[in-house]
Amino acid sequence: MLFQVEELVSGYGKIDVLRSLSLHVDEGEHVGLFGPNGHGKTTLLRTVSGLIRAKAGKIRFRGQDISNLDARLIVERGLIHVPQGNQLFPQMTVRENLTLGAYVRRTDRQKSANFEKVFALFPRLKERLSQQARTLSGGERQMLSIGVGLMGMPELLLLDEPSVGLAPLIKEELARAIAEIAATGVTMIVVDQDVELLLGICDRLYLIEKGRVSLETADVAQIDQAEILEMYFGKVS
Amino acid sequence: MTLEALVAIIAGGLVSGSLYALMASGLSLVWGTVRMFNFAHGALVMVGAYSAWYVSNRGGIAKALQPIGKSLVANSEEAGALGALLLPLGEWILSIKGGFGLLLGVPFAIFCSGLVGYIMYLLLVKPFVGKPGADLVVIITTIAGASFMQNGVQVLFGPRYKQLDRILKGPPLQIMETAIGLQEVLIIILTPVTLLLLHLFLKHSKLGLAIRAVAQNDDFAHLVGINVSQIYPLTFIVSSILAGLCGVMLGGLFFILPTMGAQELLFAFVVVVFGGLGSLPGTIVGAYVIGFIRESSAYVFSLYWAPVVLFATLILVLIFRPRGLMGGEES
Repeated sequence: MLFQVEELVSGYGKIDVLRSLSLHVDEGEHVGLFGPNGHGKTTLLRTVSGLIRAKAGKIRFRGQDISNLDARLIVERGLIHVPQGNQLFPQMTVRENLTLGAYVRRTDRQKSANFEKVFALFPRLKERLSQQARTLSGGERQMLSIGVGLMGMPELLLLDEPSVGLAPLIKEELARAIAEIAATGVTMIVVDQDVELLLGICDRLYLIEKGRVSLETADVAQIDQAEILEMYFGKVS
Repeated sequence: MTLEALVAIIAGGLVSGSLYALMASGLSLVWGTVRMFNFAHGALVMVGAYSAWYVSNRGGIAKALQPIGKSLVANSEEAGALGALLLPLGEWILSIKGGFGLLLGVPFAIFCSGLVGYIMYLLLVKPFVGKPGADLVVIITTIAGASFMQNGVQVLFGPRYKQLDRILKGPPLQIMETAIGLQEVLIIILTPVTLLLLHLFLKHSKLGLAIRAVAQNDDFAHLVGINVSQIYPLTFIVSSILAGLCGVMLGGLFFILPTMGAQELLFAFVVVVFGGLGSLPGTIVGAYVIGFIRESSAYVFSLYWAPVVLFATLILVLIFRPRGLMGGEES
């Protein structure tokens, strides 16, 4: 098993957002997380990537406990978190942002090859190389955000709400790109409100409610959309 | 206004602008990255000046070494085989009565101001990083640190004013019948070179890129694997070296005394706010603008009125551009 979260508790200050959350991801798997806002999806990713401390529980990556390691050491191991809401270096150019994505030494040798991979996936970024990140459109910023993540050569890629706030056409373009990344065999955890987008990419889904996994679907191919809606909103009777 | 006066104002403005730019760029860098104001930044100017003086002047380390040199020469005969080594060493020490010169003094000043800046970070800033209200606490701790350093230097070097040797000796340059000292010319030329080096470092080196990254979005900096807790002290060291260089330049113009740098710090704060907090280009443009305003108001009114004119300008700028000349949106 590549990645495992066991009875994780974490949150902000005295308030626990995650209350004993457990899940696992196998090598090459693409797992989706969905559920209502404020129930711990983003908190989970932030705890995994070392931005906030785990109060209890374990996070294992390739069998080793990585909970509460320095964020940079987690990146060094190939666990890359693409945060929500176009987190970028706004007053830097597209090129500088991508260069910083390859900050860790592990990626040094592949840097130029990785640049090409990102450009192949998002040709628009190549056109905007010397433009400041803050001048990009919302969709382009999201592409850059993912591009920065890919420059870090992820072995497990955590995508937080890649489609939020985007126009339908751009959303589709982005979904295609994410599916393409998935097809290259990168293991992924994708958080999104848009279950349809998750269904197109993921092998398995977790519903996260009140800081716990409240449902797990075994195989996305086996279920239909009505069932997902039921998970979300409860049974319509 | 006569032509001579105009040339004098321009030259004076370029000199003060240079000194402010060196100081304020360091302040701005620390503010942008660590989000704190370093009130001991002026004391680092003083550290730079004193350490350059200590190595370069004959009253500094050279004087302190003389007794050692004398005793080495005196005792070399009794030391036997070792004496063959001790004698030339002693003679060499005696021969450097005049000090090591600025060629060693300036690198030493860079080293000392960087080191003191690092120690200052460890003692006065690091314990409070990330704690609530840290920015206010650090104002107090750095003011305290500055006071310690000023009084420490007074104890170490005594109250007598010192002065650095001039790097270039010779008659002042005559431009349009206005005399401009060579030291001033050197400052006017070397400061843009230093700032260019700073720019290249921030723009093209991996560490420089990391400093800017932390300044713009430290959460995301963590996520690309930057060791943010290492970038803070690095920023302090870079900023301290800039202050130290400013001290070396000031020390060749005016007297070196424990409280030097305090006045410049005040103006550097004006520059940083005027140019836009955390914006390096804004800070540099602001420094030269403030330099010119200071020199011309000193000419038109008097030197004592210069601060009044400066602060009036600052207030006006802040009324119409609350984020300063080039301050962008908060990121």
